[in-house]
Amino acid sequence: MPGQRSCVILGGGVAAYGAAEALRAAGFDGPVTLVSAEPVVPYDRTTLSKAFLQGQKTAEEILLKPVEHYQGLGIELRLGQRASAVDLDRHELTLEPGERLPFDTLLIATGAEPVRLRLPGFDLPGVRYLRSLADAQALREDLSRAERVLVVGCGFIGAEVAASARTLGKQVTVVDPLPVPLAGPLGEEVGAILAEVHRRHGVELRLGQKVAELRGHRRAEEAVLESGERIACDLVVVGVGVRPAVALFQGSGLQIEDGILVDERCATGVPGVYAAGDVANWWHPAIGRRLRVEHFDNAAQQGAAAARAIAGDPQPYAPVPYFWSDQYDLNLQYAGYPGPWDQVVLRGDPAAPSVTAFYLRQGVVEAVVTINRPRELRPGRRLVEARARVDPAVLADPATDLRALAQAARAAE
Amino acid sequence: MTAPEGYVAVKRYDEIPEGGIVPFEVDDDERILVKLEGKIYALSGICTHEYAELAEGDLEDHVIYCPLHGSGFDLETGRVTALPATQPLPVYDVQVVDGVVYVSREPRQG
Ligand SMILES: Cc1cc2nc3c(=O)[nH]c(=O)nc-3n(C[C@H](O)[C@H](O)[C@H](O)COP(=O)(O)OP(=O)(O)OC[C@H]3O[C@@H](n4cnc5c(N)ncnc54)[C@H](O)[C@@H]3O)c2cc1C
Ligand code: FES
Repeated sequence: MPGQRSCVILGGGVAAYGAAEALRAAGFDGPVTLVSAEPVVPYDRTTLSKAFLQGQKTAEEILLKPVEHYQGLGIELRLGQRASAVDLDRHELTLEPGERLPFDTLLIATGAEPVRLRLPGFDLPGVRYLRSLADAQALREDLSRAERVLVVGCGFIGAEVAASARTLGKQVTVVDPLPVPLAGPLGEEVGAILAEVHRRHGVELRLGQKVAELRGHRRAEEAVLESGERIACDLVVVGVGVRPAVALFQGSGLQIEDGILVDERCATGVPGVYAAGDVANWWHPAIGRRLRVEHFDNAAQQGAAAARAIAGDPQPYAPVPYFWSDQYDLNLQYAGYPGPWDQVVLRGDPAAPSVTAFYLRQGVVEAVVTINRPRELRPGRRLVEARARVDPAVLADPATDLRALAQAARAAE
Repeated sequence: MTAPEGYVAVKRYDEIPEGGIVPFEVDDDERILVKLEGKIYALSGICTHEYAELAEGDLEDHVIYCPLHGSGFDLETGRVTALPATQPLPVYDVQVVDGVVYVSREPRQG
């Protein structure tokens, strides 16, 4: 046990929270400092596009734990303080406006930041991005006055914001260059099901289309699509993806390539420096390739895994990535490895919808998605974990007992 | 047979299938019974994250998983084993007397 060595956790998201808990649980008794640019303790960011945006939860209610909890763990909080420089040779961060903070070990949990659109008019007031609580508070305020909302991008954030805005009774138009929502991570079959759900809830979808510019006098008032179509709006929400927050570490000596490169124990190439969560691009030992995952569960678990490594108990981090998305009363869950598949097998009723989708590559179940069918998620996940090969006809057959199938796959492993 | 002090009778032990999650109510409070390797556990039936009925959830390695966002709770202690929930699940004491499962009215402390 490294005794009185100190640890600085840089970041205030769920990876930082998971790390803080796990450091103490693993018996790390040195000083721990959590530094976050945000003025609040870690909160559940996933509600910002859902319950929080709809006004069903307050900022207080979405905190993962109250401030006192960190005091109880003996963790010093540096909230509302951004690190502006790092010197890994001297083991030192510089916090704005200039204070130096030394560390023995550093966990980088800086997460990700929204990609900004550089098209004409996107610098007008009335254009919002959604990542932080402050963003969500501003958006909630704007939404309360808006009638016509334009959502640019139909990834998870765009789809969830569209659903929340419809739930609040707004007119909503969504524009996305892909033919269906979430075509990248979920494929066309599942994307088509989601498109239908949004249409049924009254969202105007402009798929396969791009916004060329925004126009307006003092605020964004209309969007012009590349097709020439003009869409009037009084609020624009952009959700076109995120980028790992690595700017601070450019030129620091860390390897950066779509995130900060770490090994299967969350360690960078610099001794004592670790990374976890949306910012980390790690070597996944079970599938033998690198992954960077932008979801809550991975951030929580990888933060904890990095903390255990820091506390002197490194274990290979080899999860089956998991995430959920809630839109209207639809619950979607995903367990599996992102990446190319060559076959999608649907089970259930796409119209309801109540569907499970299996993503196969060369006959192996790589991922599973459930839409309003939560009971099939964990059996499906077990098939993924076991790297099972299952006849597609068997997967699609409603008479197949997935639990029994998963048990058999586990036993055969 | 009268219930032990502070307990309520819920079900016959034999009515609960091995590996099963059975919902029940005490004073409108939703709870679940779980039978695993013959042992009975009693827990709150509602996830501590948002609103989900854990009777629709799933069991794996002595953890019950919420059907909506995958929070995990240790069957024995209610401790959170997987986020997004951060509050433990209330657990109740269980006694099996003469083939009847009794559950404490009040949650176990600590
Ligand atoms: C609106 C929204 C909805 C989402 N919904 C879901 C969902 O339903 N399901 C799901 O699985 N995932 C969801 N996600 C994704 C999930 O929230 C992220 O994967 C998760 O937050 C990643 O956690 P993290 O700790 O790695 O990074 P973050 O949560 O991004 O936290 C990074 C922290 O580091 C701080 N920071 C960055 N740079 C510095 C610096 N230089 N100095 C000090 N502090 C710094 C930031 O201010 C921030 O507090 C959603 C995300 C958003 C934005
Ligand atoms: S409601 Fe149970 S995990 Fe969200």
